[in-house]
Amino acid sequence: MYTMDGLIKALLDGDRNRAVAEAAALVSKGVSPDSIVLNGIDPAMNRLDAKCTIEQFNLLEIMLVGRCLTAVITEIFPNGIASSRDKGTVVIAALEGDVHDIGKNITKMLLASKGYHVIDCGKDCPVEKLAETALNEKADAVFVSGLITSVIPNVRKIKSQLEALGIGSISVVAGGAALKQSTPEHLNVDFVADNAFEGLHYLESKAAVSNN
Amino acid sequence: MTGMQCINAALKIDKKGDVAVVPQIFGHAAVLKGVSVEDYVKDGGLIATCQLEALLRYGHHAVFSVMDVCVEAEAMGAEVDYFINNYPSVRKHIPIADSLKARIPNPKKDGRMPQMIKAVEIMRKELQDDMLVVGCVMGPVTLAIQYLGVQDALFMAVEDPDKFEKLLDYTADVIVEFGKAQIDAGAHLPIIFEPSSSPEVIPPQFFREMALPRIERICKSFKSAGAVANWLQIAGKTMPIMPHYPDAGVDIANCDYCVEPAMVRRFMPGVCLAGNIKPLSLVEDSPEDIYKESVRLIKTFAGQGGFILSSGCEVPPEARPENIDAMIRASRECHF
Repeated sequence: MYTMDGLIKALLDGDRNRAVAEAAALVSKGVSPDSIVLNGIDPAMNRLDAKCTIEQFNLLEIMLVGRCLTAVITEIFPNGIASSRDKGTVVIAALEGDVHDIGKNITKMLLASKGYHVIDCGKDCPVEKLAETALNEKADAVFVSGLITSVIPNVRKIKSQLEALGIGSISVVAGGAALKQSTPEHLNVDFVADNAFEGLHYLESKAAVSNN
Repeated sequence: MTGMQCINAALKIDKKGDVAVVPQIFGHAAVLKGVSVEDYVKDGGLIATCQLEALLRYGHHAVFSVMDVCVEAEAMGAEVDYFINNYPSVRKHIPIADSLKARIPNPKKDGRMPQMIKAVEIMRKELQDDMLVVGCVMGPVTLAIQYLGVQDALFMAVEDPDKFEKLLDYTADVIVEFGKAQIDAGAHLPIIFEPSSSPEVIPPQFFREMALPRIERICKSFKSAGAVANWLQIAGKTMPIMPHYPDAGVDIANCDYCVEPAMVRRFMPGVCLAGNIKPLSLVEDSPEDIYKESVRLIKTFAGQGGFILSSGCEVPPEARPENIDAMIRASRECHF
């Protein structure tokens, strides 16, 4: 018999060493990595999601959990074997003119933890590169994070770039301190997320609609 | 009433009178004059020229010697990248091992600090006590993050809180010296920018235990040096931490667009509030929208005073000038 409670608590506490020890103990008891993801990491992230929604999105807490998560994933997939769950591919970037990437990195971590394959185009990324990557990677969605308002003209170009490559139906999600002040209409995107979890919820809701 | 008289009335929470209006114009002054942001943030003379021209253009009540969030960290040894039309950012932070070995920068010699001092001197000489001359320092947590980088700083806060507290003592020392130099040069006050203490970055209890004591020390030092008031600017959803502001000696509390000033007034009746036009609306919305929102805010404080009509955070450099005009017009046409 085993329980995931210790791992879930360690993840939510942001205690990296304890989380890795709990994950290692589970592996030694024969628990499969996918089961650890499904029954340990997923519930922890769901609780964090609920906490962030009810209370407040908090960068420090998210960073601590993200660091734990990375360490646990490395522990349970030592050969870099990804989880068999593949919810889709997301291309993410901070666009040209914006060199701030904390928001992007947090969102990347969250999406990856929920089973999305995330391609990171980095910061200061030209719109053309973002669109080409989305095409080459057969992306299901494009996420952009922006801390400064001057990046907005570039955000507005994403849809037309995707359309020019014949992939205009891909969802475009914007977030970050500057972009979240705006609206989807102003930014010419499909959704503006107040935080990383909202962006995730949007993706999940789109997937749910597609599956029905 | 002069601009300074309007500000003083707001500080005294005068119930009647003219409305103080202070859009937080920094890099927008460069754009208005047609110079690059890069040139602006490197040259105190240019800052003063652009600020004074913006003041003439709009007729608001304060000028700012503000460059960007990297000024102190750069003077402390961090390496900074500059961009023609954007604010600089730190390229190379200080390694943790070296973080407590550094000296206090000399505001008259190190990095771009002397240029900020120069801008203050020019503007105060020109404006005397007719308009508020505002300098700028980072807050202790924001400076720690600029200095070490966000991951190293925040993980240190969790894993080695004693060391992090020492780091905050160091950043507070830097801030005090820089702020006092600005006051000596003629700043009526240095605004304290502390975006990294937002509850969206660190938990409120972390703010209360670690940031607040240093902010209190900084405020006391500035008052002793002659600051007319202490202005604290923390962005985001700050309601959980605002009740602590008076304990730190904050006289002007900025409200970002996501914080309703009328709600804040209920638990901070003795603190002047500034805000809270949404910064992006100054780019995207119409002058009519800005005018209506400005009038709504002023009417909220009718019969109460203690309010400075301002932007929730910095006016974006690319803001529409006619939207700033609309803010100013509302402040002229309405009274408390």
